[in-house]
Amino acid sequence: MTLRPQRQAVTDPMGDFVDPLSNYDPPKYGDELEKSLDQDVASKAMMSTPYKTVDVSVTIHEAITMMVALDIACLLVTENDRLVGVFSERDVLNKCAERFEQIKDHPISLVMTHEPLIIYDTESAAKAINLMAIAGFRHVPILDVDDKVAGIVGPRRFINYLRKFITLE
Amino acid sequence: MGLRQDIFRDTVSDLHIRELITVKRGTTVRKTAALMRRKHLGCAIIVDDQHKPIGKFTERRLMRLLLDPASTLDDPVEKHSYTDASCVTLDTPVAEMARVMQAKQLRFMCVTDASGTAVGLTGQKGLMEYIAEHFPRQIKAQRMKPFLHMDHREGA
Repeated sequence: MTLRPQRQAVTDPMGDFVDPLSNYDPPKYGDELEKSLDQDVASKAMMSTPYKTVDVSVTIHEAITMMVALDIACLLVTENDRLVGVFSERDVLNKCAERFEQIKDHPISLVMTHEPLIIYDTESAAKAINLMAIAGFRHVPILDVDDKVAGIVGPRRFINYLRKFITLE
Repeated sequence: MGLRQDIFRDTVSDLHIRELITVKRGTTVRKTAALMRRKHLGCAIIVDDQHKPIGKFTERRLMRLLLDPASTLDDPVEKHSYTDASCVTLDTPVAEMARVMQAKQLRFMCVTDASGTAVGLTGQKGLMEYIAEHFPRQIKAQRMKPFLHMDHREGA
């Protein structure tokens, strides 16, 4: 068995201790918006609540009725308190509209988006925008450390967040 | 110069303008929805003969239609559309567009030229892409998948 070599303290040629973080260059931001994007967690900055979860056994008709009644664009689908998918307006357009009468009493699991990309409640607003703008997911569920649903961020909440920084003085 | 100043300085023409879906009055909802699916867009603009926007059909309207027993996908699209196409011109500041979108809870905005002709579509996604383009150091450098838990344990 080989022993792991002991770490040596960083010293200068004279043998004096040198702080390894002495040349650390903290990030510089142009304004408060840039700082917030980088440092604020998405769940707080973008107000990730309220959100609506439904069980995976809910029918497509019930799910759409709920979305219309609550005026929301996305439902988080759970099974035994674990996130298993999302069901959004886009799923209605792509998978339900043409054959709604035939499938409306089927469970939502038939047409939902399975295994969506998620972020954790400690991750930054920039991460949420990355998934929405670059990866193209309009709604991003937020999970806590126990992998339980903690919220959702979407474009409407992003606009509300952005507006806080660009209100005219 | 920070991102906030850029948002006040830049105009809609600096956003990513998407090709819009235009339909005429009398087009069925079924055909409009098929176009939206093909182009991966959640909105279609209804235009008159001069290509001036006169209405807007969205995914949200489609959901309401599906639940309404008196409506079918073969209805003319204008029957289920918003009568306001929510237009913005190319020289409108990005900040002003964001203000209007928030105040009216809009997802899409129809972009028109100086003559009022529809030339493109932008909206929430256009704004998010703008922020990503102008702040790439943080936003584009993110990993797509979460890494809260390591795949393999390291160390003792």
